[in-house]
Amino acid sequence: MRGSPLAQTVLVVAVLLLLLIPLHRLTQREQRPPEQPVVSVAPKQLHLAIRTTAVPVRFEITFLGKTLWAEEALTPEVAKEFDLDFPKEGIDLVVDATWETKALAAMEITLSLPDGTAIHKTLWGQGTANEVLTFQEQ
Amino acid sequence: MGLRFTLRALLVCFLVFPTAKLQAEMKVACFSTVLSEIAQKVGGKNVTVTSLIKPGQDPHEYELTPGDLSAATASDLVILSGKGMEVSYLRNLRDALPKRVQVLEVGDQLPSLSKKAEEGNEMTQDPHWWNSVSDTEKATMIVRDAFVHLDGQHAADYQAAAQAYLNSLQELDSWARRKIAELPRNQRKLVTSHDAFQYFAKDYGFQIDSIEGLTTDQEPSVSHVTALIAEIKKEGVKAIFLENTLNPKVSVEITRESGAKIGGSLYADGLGPGDGETYAGMVRHNVTTIVDALK
Repeated sequence: MRGSPLAQTVLVVAVLLLLLIPLHRLTQREQRPPEQPVVSVAPKQLHLAIRTTAVPVRFEITFLGKTLWAEEALTPEVAKEFDLDFPKEGIDLVVDATWETKALAAMEITLSLPDGTAIHKTLWGQGTANEVLTFQEQ
Repeated sequence: MGLRFTLRALLVCFLVFPTAKLQAEMKVACFSTVLSEIAQKVGGKNVTVTSLIKPGQDPHEYELTPGDLSAATASDLVILSGKGMEVSYLRNLRDALPKRVQVLEVGDQLPSLSKKAEEGNEMTQDPHWWNSVSDTEKATMIVRDAFVHLDGQHAADYQAAAQAYLNSLQELDSWARRKIAELPRNQRKLVTSHDAFQYFAKDYGFQIDSIEGLTTDQEPSVSHVTALIAEIKKEGVKAIFLENTLNPKVSVEITRESGAKIGGSLYADGLGPGDGETYAGMVRHNVTTIVDALK
């Protein structure tokens, strides 16, 4: 192979530099963000029904730190629909209730899934009740 | 009349003051930072508590010293975590203690969770019950009952102080449940340096995994670390957590390989400097750190 030594050196350096790219890719530590959970959860239409032994009752239901439903109920039964993620691990609803009466009162919360499954939870209190209720399919 | 009064007064002094002096405070030695706090809260001014394990000290690595043994020997009651936490020195301690010293292994009276050892099929009892606030409530009642049994004269004081502390623990548990409710249940995946959060996980609906085993002296195997990295990637775990008493080297390496971030440092083995100087501070720190990192 003939040519000037300078040209040969430039050629060798260029080849080495080109080789560096795949070499770098092969040896580079992966810095990918964690993959998303494999189980993706599509929001479901959930039906929430509240039945209370005493009215009026002021209540607030919080889901993942945000108010989902706040109302002053004047009738013993109220209900509403919500689109929420409902993973197989279930969901937690934080319930705060204040009754006008100071006597012992109860509030039953029924969560119904689109397939008709209904999950019931009850909280009791004298004047007030605050609880985190977990709704899970059996 | 004056002389008679003076004699009577002197007699009263002789009868009352020596008796008062004889009713010395009960001496309690604790081998757990959390139990030291419970003993202080329940015992109040009627009990002198000596904490033989200091905040921030790793109880798995603790070795009984002659000085600590003297302190235990001089006490009326020795309080231990139990569930095998003191296994490396319990026999020596029991042999050295005079018969008059009562020993209370609190954890042994609490419900147990166990885990299969990394090697072999042996099941190991998890000693980290204090990471469950509800178990700490039960521990408070156990300590209260022991104090009442040993020093019935101050029973009312112990019962009132224990009730006040129990109320504060119930508030703490309620706060923790509300804070954790901010985190979707399918994101409650807790990866920590060592396996100290089973009781916490059971109370608050977490799935757990750890780099080391139940004790901090178990080095993780390569196969375990590899499987853990795969699990973190598969489950999309956002963060893993360090501990205040452990070397974070392996955890940091796992975050590099898995892409998860370091969520912060947790108090796993009891109280420690900083937020964890009190039990409530410790729980609040752990819960806030976990929820904020996994959200």
